[in-house]
Amino acid sequence: MSVVFLIARDSIRALLHQRLLVGLMLVSVAMTVFFSVIMSRTRQNISSQFDASTAETNSPVFNKMSDEDKKKMDEAMEQGMSAVQGFFYAASSFGGSLVALMIFGTAVASEVRRGTIRLTLSKPVSRLQYLLGKYLGGVVVMAGYAMIASIAVLIFSASENVALSPVLQYAPWLMFCRQLMLGSLAMLLSLFVHPAIGAVLAFVAGNGLYSTGNPLYYLLPSYAPFNVFAAILQGSMMKGTDVVLLTLYALDFIVWMLLLALWRFQRKEVC
Amino acid sequence: MAAIHTEKLEKWYSTFMNGRDVAPALKSLCLDVREGETFGFLGPNGAGKTTTILLLLNLIRPTSGSALLFGEPVTDSSVHRRLGYLPESVNLHDYYTGQGLLEFYAALLKVPVEMRGARIAELLKLLRLEDAAHKSVSKYSKGMLQRLGFAQAMLHDPDLLILDEPTASLDPVGRKEFRDILVELKRRGKTIFISSHILSEVESVCDRVAILQKGELKRVGTLQELSTARSSRLILKNVPGVVLEALAASEAEVTMSRGEVTVKSGDAATQSQVEELLQRHGIQPERTEVETQSLEEIFFSTIESPPKI
Repeated sequence: MSVVFLIARDSIRALLHQRLLVGLMLVSVAMTVFFSVIMSRTRQNISSQFDASTAETNSPVFNKMSDEDKKKMDEAMEQGMSAVQGFFYAASSFGGSLVALMIFGTAVASEVRRGTIRLTLSKPVSRLQYLLGKYLGGVVVMAGYAMIASIAVLIFSASENVALSPVLQYAPWLMFCRQLMLGSLAMLLSLFVHPAIGAVLAFVAGNGLYSTGNPLYYLLPSYAPFNVFAAILQGSMMKGTDVVLLTLYALDFIVWMLLLALWRFQRKEVC
Repeated sequence: MAAIHTEKLEKWYSTFMNGRDVAPALKSLCLDVREGETFGFLGPNGAGKTTTILLLLNLIRPTSGSALLFGEPVTDSSVHRRLGYLPESVNLHDYYTGQGLLEFYAALLKVPVEMRGARIAELLKLLRLEDAAHKSVSKYSKGMLQRLGFAQAMLHDPDLLILDEPTASLDPVGRKEFRDILVELKRRGKTIFISSHILSEVESVCDRVAILQKGELKRVGTLQELSTARSSRLILKNVPGVVLEALAASEAEVTMSRGEVTVKSGDAATQSQVEELLQRHGIQPERTEVETQSLEEIFFSTIESPPKI
């Protein structure tokens, strides 16, 4: 088996033995499902109470509503449904971002701190192979997280009888791309500064602190296009070509970050 | 070809905040360790031993100079296939079992799959870790970690072993077993580079030693080359009275027993004085016994004493 895959497998093993990380992943998914169910139930209660009151009292207000108003009310109900899905997406995306920062930010740094990297690099393992293996291990774990979050949203939608927003079919993939971008930047920064500082910097670097008028906007990553929260709320569709372009943007960014990380790692002293 | 060759290898540590250190951790080290040699690398704490090892493993970068392993630059990771390394503090991935960890390293070292099981079993047996093979590494004692660390260093039967304080956590039985393994490896022509504080251990197995202090190589050579005669004893027979009187009057210590005269010179000046006297009277010693310095004496005479409080 290739050295990169061996390092990746070892990295996955190490990550799954981190109780804090596994706990964070499980809690993130569980909390997302829990609050989404609460929101969904609340919406259903309000809706059913409204239906019951109009049926029982034959409310004159309801009778006086024009067809257009009734249509608007139905749309508001649908928006409420979209808000629940949007919340689900936002929560799992935020949880995933935390997990990604933790995984990639500590992948190399924790091995340096514990001294285990010395033995691995004393073997015929190049620093390129080591870094790629560590990143690949993180990618696999993040893919697992994205899959769990996707399955959770499907189960949630089926059990709560919520019609899925059309953009949600791309949401897990875009969320995954965004988290890998975030991770690659966190990994690079962890080679310069403390992983916690690197994680904070990686998070704020691409989270809307810069406007298009700011030159830094073109140098730093932009996570905003990957955020489909607004599209979920509006129930709008996303073009397939946009998804492909965003994927290519993420890939380009990740490759640059990994090249910079490798440049730094080649010079880093692991003592 | 030298197994290890360093050419004016120098290392200054620097930090982002403080800039360069005031003194180098390693100063222009020129060293050759021959293939098949057991080489002791000695020095007090902070002498630069671990820095040298980290440079040889390409874990840190030299400020200047170069290092080669079997003629290849240390920056070429493929040369690591020929070396095994045991660090001073053995930090191992604690999410493996002992056996699992060795399997992981064996795969990295490209030990053929069909040989891995037998090799791992052999090493676990040799290092008395058979019973702990399926136990999590996180539950290993310090001594067990040291032995497991030694097992991973020997997994691929390397040509060169770099051992940094290899017996630091071992009990006397473990040390004896470790020494026996080294003797066997030496017999098989392996090159062994040991950094150790335990001088008696180095003395018993090493062909040559180097002594480092404050990053500077002070002395290098075999024990015979490094030791100066501490005292010499000349055993004489049929010594005329006049010579005996002259010897007794000298700085030498003269004793007589069963017709033999033993003349012990405590320093080189006395020794040459005695030799001159005997030569003048045409007396040949029956035999000469030279008492040389132990490694400990060589070590302490080489390193500068710490300032007195």
